[in-house]
Amino acid sequence: MSDHCEAPAEAPREGASQTPTLVLVGRPNAGKSSLYNRITGGDARVGNFPGITVDVLEAPLDHEGRALRVVDLPGLYALAANGDDAETDEGVARRFLDNLAHEKTPTVLVQVMDATCPALGLRLTRDLLARGTPLVVIATQSDVLAAQGRSLDVEALRKALGVDVRVVSARDPDAKPTVLSAALAALDGAPPPRARSFDPDALGREVLRDAPRVDDEALAARARTERIDRWALHPTLGPLLFVLLMGGLFSAVFLVADPASNLVDAAVQALINVVGRRLGDGALRSFVVDGVLGGAGTVLIFLPQIVVLTVAMELLDASGYLARGVFLVDRLFRRAGLSGRAFVPLLTGHACAVPAIAATRIIRDPRERLTAVLVVPLMTCSARIPTYALLLSAFFASRGAWFRAMVFVALYVFGIASGFVASAMLRRSRTRGRTLPLLLEMPRYHAPDARVVARAGWRAAGRFVRDVGTTILAASALLWALLNVPMPAAFDHAGDTHTMPPAVARVHHSVAAGLGRALEPVTRIAGFDWRINVGLMGSFGARELMVGTLGVITGLEDVEDDDGALATRLREIRRDDGTRAYSTATGLALMAFFVIACQCMSTVAAVQRETRSWRWAGFTLVWTYAVGFALAVLTYQTARALGL
Amino acid sequence: MNPDTLGALPPGGRGVIASLELPSQERAWVDALGLSPGRSVTVLRRGAFRGPLHVRVDSGAELAVDAELASHVRLAAGAP
Ligand SMILES: Nc1nc2c(ncn2[C@@H]2O[C@H](COP(=O)(O)OP(=O)(O)O)[C@@H](O)[C@H]2O)c(=O)[nH]1
Ligand SMILES: [Mg+2]
Repeated sequence: MSDHCEAPAEAPREGASQTPTLVLVGRPNAGKSSLYNRITGGDARVGNFPGITVDVLEAPLDHEGRALRVVDLPGLYALAANGDDAETDEGVARRFLDNLAHEKTPTVLVQVMDATCPALGLRLTRDLLARGTPLVVIATQSDVLAAQGRSLDVEALRKALGVDVRVVSARDPDAKPTVLSAALAALDGAPPPRARSFDPDALGREVLRDAPRVDDEALAARARTERIDRWALHPTLGPLLFVLLMGGLFSAVFLVADPASNLVDAAVQALINVVGRRLGDGALRSFVVDGVLGGAGTVLIFLPQIVVLTVAMELLDASGYLARGVFLVDRLFRRAGLSGRAFVPLLTGHACAVPAIAATRIIRDPRERLTAVLVVPLMTCSARIPTYALLLSAFFASRGAWFRAMVFVALYVFGIASGFVASAMLRRSRTRGRTLPLLLEMPRYHAPDARVVARAGWRAAGRFVRDVGTTILAASALLWALLNVPMPAAFDHAGDTHTMPPAVARVHHSVAAGLGRALEPVTRIAGFDWRINVGLMGSFGARELMVGTLGVITGLEDVEDDDGALATRLREIRRDDGTRAYSTATGLALMAFFVIACQCMSTVAAVQRETRSWRWAGFTLVWTYAVGFALAVLTYQTARALGL
Repeated sequence: MNPDTLGALPPGGRGVIASLELPSQERAWVDALGLSPGRSVTVLRRGAFRGPLHVRVDSGAELAVDAELASHVRLAAGAP
C-alpha cells in the first residue's frame, strides 16, 4: 500500500514511520500489555495498578512476510481531551495518535477491551470511531469471562459498531494470529463508518450474555477479595498491617541484600585480582583497577537491593495491594499536598530515585507530579545505606546493635519526613494548586505470575546498570584522576608526608586533597575536614562513592568488604595537634547532610528528563546541598553543645 | 453534608447516581471511570479520618473515591 505513495514533502521523523502500525489502545487494566507481550514476545510490564504503563512501547514484527510495528499505549479512559497536559498517560497516548495521523502512517487501532465489562470499554470505542482510523475491537480475558459462565454476543457487537470484534485470551497462544489477521483486514479494508450512535451502557448490557447458572468462580473470587479487604482496609488493623508490610519490605531489602552484596563484591574482587596481575604496577593498573573496576563494583553491589525491592514492589502491585496502599495513605499524603497516588513513586524511591521519578507519571495533576519529582530524591535510596552503615559503626560502635538499628530507622523516617515538609512548602509556593481528588480502580486480588515478576526484576537490574552505571563509571574515573594528579607545588599545603606509604602520600598531595583543604574554612563549621570534603567531592556524582573515597584517602586499599576496619580508621584520624579529627558530632552532621543532599547525577538527569527543564534539575541540586549543609552545621553545633 | 449524595451514604448504603455536580472536565473523567448517572453504587467502607470511600458500582468495578468528590455525586431521591 505504500508503493503508490509519493515521496513525502517533509521527511518523516523516523525511518520506520511508514511501516504499518498496530496501536493497542484501551482502558488501564484491560489487558493491553498482556496482549502486546503475547503478540511481540516482548516483556512489557504487566501491572495491576491503573496507569502503570506510562511509556509507549513498540516492537517490530514480521507477519507472513509483512513488516509491521506494534505499539502498546498507556491506558486511556477517554480520547476527548479533558484538560490533562501532555504528560499524563492519556496525554501521551493522545499525542502519539495525533502524531501518527499527522505523519500519515498506515495505522490500525486495536482497541483492547475487558470482555467482562464491555460497557466501560464501549465509551472509548465511541471516541475511537470518531477518529475515522481503521479499528478492530479485541475483547480479551475471555478465560475469565468463561470462568464466570458468561459470554459475549460478538455478532450483535459487530453489527452495532460496524467494525470487526474478536474475543481472545492473552493466556492463549492463538490470540496472536487472531488479533493480527483481524487488524490487517481492517487496515487493508474500507475505513470504518464514522458516525455511530449507541449508548455504551445499554449496548454493554445487551451483548453480555449472563450465565444461566450462578457463576461460582466469580463469586468465590469476589468473596476472597472481600475477605482480604476486611483485614487489609480495616480502620485500625489496615494501617497497622500496612506499616508492618512496609517495615518488612525494607528489612527484606536489608537482610537479603547484604549477603548477596558480599557475593557480588567477592566476584568483583576476584576480577580485580586477575586483571590487576596482568596489568603490572603502573598508572594504567591503578586506573583500571581502582578507577574503572572499583567503580563498577560500587554499582554492582547495589544490584541485589534494587532487584529485591523491585520484586517486592512487583508482588505488591500484581497482587492488587498497591491500590489498597493508596487508599490507606491518601488522607495522610493530602496533608503534604500530595495524593495517595504519590505513594508508588515515593515507595520506589527507597530503592532508587531514577525509576521512582519516572513512576511519578501515574500522578495526573502536573503540579502535584512536579512536586513528587522534586521530593522523591529525599527518600532513603539504597545508595545511602553504605555510608550510614559506615558512620554508624565508626561513631556508635559502643552503643550496641539495637541503638544502631534505631538510628537507622530514624534516618528512614527523617528522609520521609523531610520529603513531606518539602512537599508541603512547595505546594504553598512554586507548585501551589489544588490536589486532584482521588478516584482509583481497586483491582481484585490476584496471585502474581512468577515469570512476570522475575522479568520485572531482571529489567530493573538492566536499567539500573545502564542509567546509574554510566554515571558512576564516569564519576569514578574523574575521581581517580583528581586523587592521583598532584596539586601544583605552589598550592600544595599537605605538609610532611614522608612517614606515609607512597600511595597515601600521593593522595595527600593530589588536586582533590588541595581542593578539600581550600574548602575547609567553610566546612569546618559542620565539622568536615579536608578528608570528608574530598569524600563529598568524590560522591558528588554518585553518593555510593563516599565509602570508597574515604577508604582511599585514609590509606586503606580494600575497604568495601570490611566496614569495620575503615570505621576504626576514621575514629583514629588525628589532627596535626594530635586530637581526634572526628567525633560523634561529625558523624551525625554527615548523616544529616546525606539525608538531604542530592548527591546523584543520575537523579538530577532524571529530574531534567521528567520536567524538561534544567532549571528544576539545578534547583534540586542547589537547594538540597544548601539545606543539607545548613542542617549539618545545625546538627554539628547542637551535638557539640550537648557534649557529644 | 448534603444528605442526597454518595458522600453521605453510610457503609453498606446504596443509591443510584442521578448526576455529577462537577466542572465538565472532571465530570467526563469521573463518568469515564464508571461512576455515571444511572449506575447503582454501594459503599463498602469509608477510610479513617474522612478518607476515601470504597465503593462498588453495579458494573462490578470497585473504586476508591475521595470523600470530597463523593459529596458531589448526587443520588436519586428515595431508596433504590
Ligand atoms: N486471566 C487473564 N488475565 C488477564 C488477561 N489479560 C490480562 N490479564 C490480567 O489483567 C491485569 C491487567 O493486565 P495488563 O496487561 O497489565 O493491562 P493493561 O493495563 O491494559 O496493560 C493483569 O493482572 C493481567 O495478568 C487474560 O487474557 N486472561
Ligand atoms: Mg499496560
